[in-house]
Amino acid sequence: MTTLTHAAESPPADGTDPATRPGRGHGAERRGLDRWGLLVLPLVVFLLLVFITPLAVILARSVTDPQVGVENYLDFFSSSVYFDVLVNTFEISGLVTLLTLLLGFPYAYLMTLASPFWRGVLLVAVLVPFWTSLLVRTFAWKLLLDNTGIVNTFLLDQGLVDEPLALIRNQTGVLIGMVQVMLPYAVLPLFATMRGIDRRLVDAAEGLGARPIVAFWRIYAPLTLPGVVAATLLVFISSIGFYVTPALLGGPKSMMIGELIVQQLSGVLNWGFASALAVVLLVVTSLLLLVVSRFVRIGRLIGGQE
Amino acid sequence: MRRVLTAGVTLMTVSALAACGAAGSGDEQLTVVMWGGADQKTHVEEAVEPWAEDAGVTVKQDSPSDYAKFRAQVESGNVSWDVVEVEPNFAHTACEKGWAEKLDTEVVDTSELKAEEVTDCAIPVLEYAFTIGYNTETFPGDHPTTWAEFFDTEKFPGKRGFWKYATGAMFEAALLADGVAPEDLYPLDIDRAFEKLDTIKDDIVFYETGEQQQQLVASGEAPLVQAWNGRIFSAAQEGQPVANEWNEHLLSYDQLVIPKGAPNADQAMDWMAWYVDHPEAQAGYANETGYGPITEDAVEHIDEDVLSELPTSPENAAKRAAIVDYAWWADNYDEVTERLNEWAAQ
Repeated sequence: MTTLTHAAESPPADGTDPATRPGRGHGAERRGLDRWGLLVLPLVVFLLLVFITPLAVILARSVTDPQVGVENYLDFFSSSVYFDVLVNTFEISGLVTLLTLLLGFPYAYLMTLASPFWRGVLLVAVLVPFWTSLLVRTFAWKLLLDNTGIVNTFLLDQGLVDEPLALIRNQTGVLIGMVQVMLPYAVLPLFATMRGIDRRLVDAAEGLGARPIVAFWRIYAPLTLPGVVAATLLVFISSIGFYVTPALLGGPKSMMIGELIVQQLSGVLNWGFASALAVVLLVVTSLLLLVVSRFVRIGRLIGGQE
Repeated sequence: MRRVLTAGVTLMTVSALAACGAAGSGDEQLTVVMWGGADQKTHVEEAVEPWAEDAGVTVKQDSPSDYAKFRAQVESGNVSWDVVEVEPNFAHTACEKGWAEKLDTEVVDTSELKAEEVTDCAIPVLEYAFTIGYNTETFPGDHPTTWAEFFDTEKFPGKRGFWKYATGAMFEAALLADGVAPEDLYPLDIDRAFEKLDTIKDDIVFYETGEQQQQLVASGEAPLVQAWNGRIFSAAQEGQPVANEWNEHLLSYDQLVIPKGAPNADQAMDWMAWYVDHPEAQAGYANETGYGPITEDAVEHIDEDVLSELPTSPENAAKRAAIVDYAWWADNYDEVTERLNEWAAQ
């Protein structure tokens, strides 16, 4: 838990983008920017141009289009169906986060125990899907999960079910697809943290009389918390912005906010409303980061080790 | 909007190619934007290239049509598209809001076109129909031949596929099924349509793309779909067990518009004039895709077996219930979309 107690000193705002961090520099080097610091300038200008400016435009549009005022936000919060979309987005993201942790934790743990060869195999098994296009994977899931897809055909042929399981065009489909997409984002930070844990601490606990299960939960598990928090943040925040997977695997009842933004943007051409939706999403995400940063140093979680 | 997801891939490829090919080339050019995929390829080969060769113009392409990009290009004054295939309700909106160039009727002769399909800013590019698409293995003998039967889940059990958009003609179909006379269809009674849709809500499956539509009906997952005739036609040609029922079909069309401030608006207008004037080019496209030509005289250039699958054939035209009124849709699309979202989410 010691790593977590630094929390109050600084909720670093730089944590959100690993690219802006000075990397593995020591504290002393970080303090003052010398001439080399100017090398960062192009990046700052770049971010200003392609990120901050459009963001400002979106903010402005959300309160000026179609007329000046907070109409778009009122519309959003007063419409039960659109507010439900937001709730649904959080529900799905929360479930995806939970499921990826449940699957990713034992997997990462196994990786730390495995011999170098098998660790390599396990790592490749995570990375190959990670490097495969999201679109390709989502379409592959469609082939598997459709009522006449591979899974249901198999189950029907074996007589295990009488009619096809509803695996697609509902929340189940979205969850299956998104968990698979997000799994590497949970496994990799978990593994990074677990690899850094000194296993002799567990041995010591056992030497002092703790049963293995107690040693694991009281010594090892708390030390993995930074990894768990990093995985939770990465998975949850990426999940709330998802578009392709829910659009292809979900149904009208599992609509997520990303789909709604696209619909308002390119279908209905209601840009003010779409901008307001984007702002809501951004604000909620920022609030979430703010809350978490009260408890952990996000910068360290995402930027790597000391 | 129509094939956004699948066309995304095409878009990336095409824009990568476009970026490579941007240098060089003659000074006369035309950038054509359609929905992408094989459909666009055929259309450009059959009906744009021949004109371009004669006129000495280099044709560039982008895809898919994207209304947000369209609006963004016009508003920023940085237009790179010259002629864009769109759905007519967008064409109406674009014309009204000044995002589209007005047609010069001195150049483009619209007298041969159906009056309903022409506006100040747009001409049709193809006709298609919302038909009853059915699986011939599920319904070997009797199949639904009217929208009333399409909504009759007792007589014809199974899922029904609808296109997930307000303009996907599901409201028109529901009203016809509920006994509204075709000539009284517009303005649509949306309340009544929802009531009718409620009766089969549990059996509705929404599709978003043409591929999904074909897959749904061909696999029997949804043995009935409200279909785009061309998609069923091409699936049937590939040997899938599907067919179009033409009775009570709803005629629809896509349009061509020129974004306001398009760099090659004159060439775009020239090509549109040529397209209207060249029935064999329209027919060349129709023969490949099963989507209809825009002028009557193209019919004689169409293959016999394709003609029976086009809304344009005299035999099928007689079975038409109505033509989709996109002027009405342009005014009501937003509101009905919101209600559809709400209804589907419940």
